[in-house]
Amino acid sequence: MNETLLNVNDLKTYFFIAEGAVKAVDSVHLKIGVGEVLGLVGESGCGKSTMALSIMRLIRHPGKIVGGEIWFEGENLLSKSEGEMRKIRGGKISMIFQNPMSSMNPVFTVGSQIAEAIKLHQDAQKHEVREKVVEILGKVGIPSPSERVKDYPHEYSGGMLQRAMIAMALSCNPKLLIADEPTTNLDVTIQAQILELMRTVRKEFDASILLIGHDFGVISELCDKVAVMYGGKLVEHADLATIFKEAKHPYTQALLESIPRLDVETERLRIIPGSVPQLINPHPGCRFCPRCEYAKEICSKEDPPLIEVGQGHSAACFLYGSIDKPNHQRK
Amino acid sequence: MSETLFEVTNLRKYFPITGGVFPRQVAAVHAVDGVSFTVELGETFGLVGESGCGKTTLARVVLRLIPPTAGAVRYGGREIFKLSEREMRKLRLEMAMVFQDPYGSLNPRMTIADSVGEPLDIHGLAKGPEKEKRIMELVEKVGLAPFHIYRYPHEFSGGQKQRIGIARALAGNPKLLVADEPVSSLDVSVRAQILNLLKDLQEELGFTYLYISHDLSTVKHMCNRVAVMYLGKFAELGAVKDVYKRPLHPYTEALMSAIPIPGRRREDRIILKGTVPTPIDPPPGCRFNPRCQYSEPMCKKEDPELIEVKKGHFVACHLKK
Repeated sequence: MNETLLNVNDLKTYFFIAEGAVKAVDSVHLKIGVGEVLGLVGESGCGKSTMALSIMRLIRHPGKIVGGEIWFEGENLLSKSEGEMRKIRGGKISMIFQNPMSSMNPVFTVGSQIAEAIKLHQDAQKHEVREKVVEILGKVGIPSPSERVKDYPHEYSGGMLQRAMIAMALSCNPKLLIADEPTTNLDVTIQAQILELMRTVRKEFDASILLIGHDFGVISELCDKVAVMYGGKLVEHADLATIFKEAKHPYTQALLESIPRLDVETERLRIIPGSVPQLINPHPGCRFCPRCEYAKEICSKEDPPLIEVGQGHSAACFLYGSIDKPNHQRK
Repeated sequence: MSETLFEVTNLRKYFPITGGVFPRQVAAVHAVDGVSFTVELGETFGLVGESGCGKTTLARVVLRLIPPTAGAVRYGGREIFKLSEREMRKLRLEMAMVFQDPYGSLNPRMTIADSVGEPLDIHGLAKGPEKEKRIMELVEKVGLAPFHIYRYPHEFSGGQKQRIGIARALAGNPKLLVADEPVSSLDVSVRAQILNLLKDLQEELGFTYLYISHDLSTVKHMCNRVAVMYLGKFAELGAVKDVYKRPLHPYTEALMSAIPIPGRRREDRIILKGTVPTPIDPPPGCRFNPRCQYSEPMCKKEDPELIEVKKGHFVACHLKK
């Protein structure tokens, strides 16, 4: 395998509110190799965005990273000072957000906002910065970039603005790009354009990408590996093909069968009973246990560890490993 | 073929834009611009399109929630825009709507019993203990427990709220149920529950759905026939199995190829250029021509009509004549 770029080790991010601690991210391990694209999938409230913000050290009060390590290029980001983090954010690690409209400042031009990122992280003359901005806007497919740099965010359409956000994120040649649901707010035809762009970005800039999303389709388009989160925990981690062919965790299996698909005929969809769990003082044991059809006694008592179930494939479920091995593969 | 439930002919809805010192109409948003179709009794008719293509406006005009600019809707042999308010109110009993946002469509100060019982009061369908019995019945039908009815909306999850919205829509025993993106604000694992519920209810009660969505996968799962809308017009209309297997309109083709499929990397993708033009000033000729890869000179001049190219399969494209 190639070198590890980011290694998240036993990360715990809790939000402390009056009712108790919300365990948004609870003992999560994650690795991203150099040049690798990892998809982090889960439903709303499963902790995937908190995960991204933790890596960027952008967790705000009442949230707090209470444990774990985040190793990036051999250094632990959690032991960095705020000043050092500032140099890394937008430089070596940059992020694309879900809603491009609200992530840009409406009173500055798009060009000046991208220039700001370049000025902060690179030593460049004023005219060089301007050239760079135009160049990068052109690279992400903005037509007549030398004109459009002077436009304000409201003069861009949603898809164009997302392109501009990607340009901003790439402006300092990041090693790691975190994209948090980059296409969720866009129409399907625009989504296809942005996905195409992300693919070329991957080739051209050679950055590792952490793609966060809830749509398995979008994830399939870009990722090499997939990590599935549920209720603040990582439940499964494998290669893209493995996840779709032989998902092991009951949640992953059920989730994949519950989505209507364009390429498969189904009369009835599989149902996962109940709804997503509350993360305030969660019940002991596996988080998925109350909704799981294979739940056993141990599942409601102990937390299943993430164990190796195949080559580069791990799952957190008591159905596998030393206890016993019922075979409940998908037909 | 089976019986027709309603027929829409050449329906138009323009929203005026006013401006100037003395406000007058300066332009109009052509939200729905000449749409004709029929919906058969008991079928599920899907309307798909990207945001702003006019699908929600079309549904609202069909229910006469907003007046049309031109055109007609014949519902069960009667022209609904010519009915008096009183007659319309009676007819509304047969039409119901399930909305996209289950959080916004329930009054937070009303208990579930009040919300579900309101249509019963308005139409004078049931009173006293009979009404309560009916409410319990409706709530159970959508998979909630009878003790739930004295609770308030904030005590429920998104999926449960959508169930309540469906129970309320069922109160008047509707013949037509308009579902406007009923699952798009729900979590993925909860979506399947609601989609299956909608299918079961249709089997049990036999009503007709007008199912609106931007998600081609759920439309394929739910519908018998589908119309693809682009900028206020139908680009293509036909049986789901035909349209999905062999899309005829270049827009449908691109739309289908744009949908990411789980577990597969699509290499055959058609990437459309640019974005949807504004419906204030739609491009002349075929509305899709500025983004169409097959565009020919005549597409810029003449607006193609929706013509039947195969039995029951209509397309509005000059190249498919």
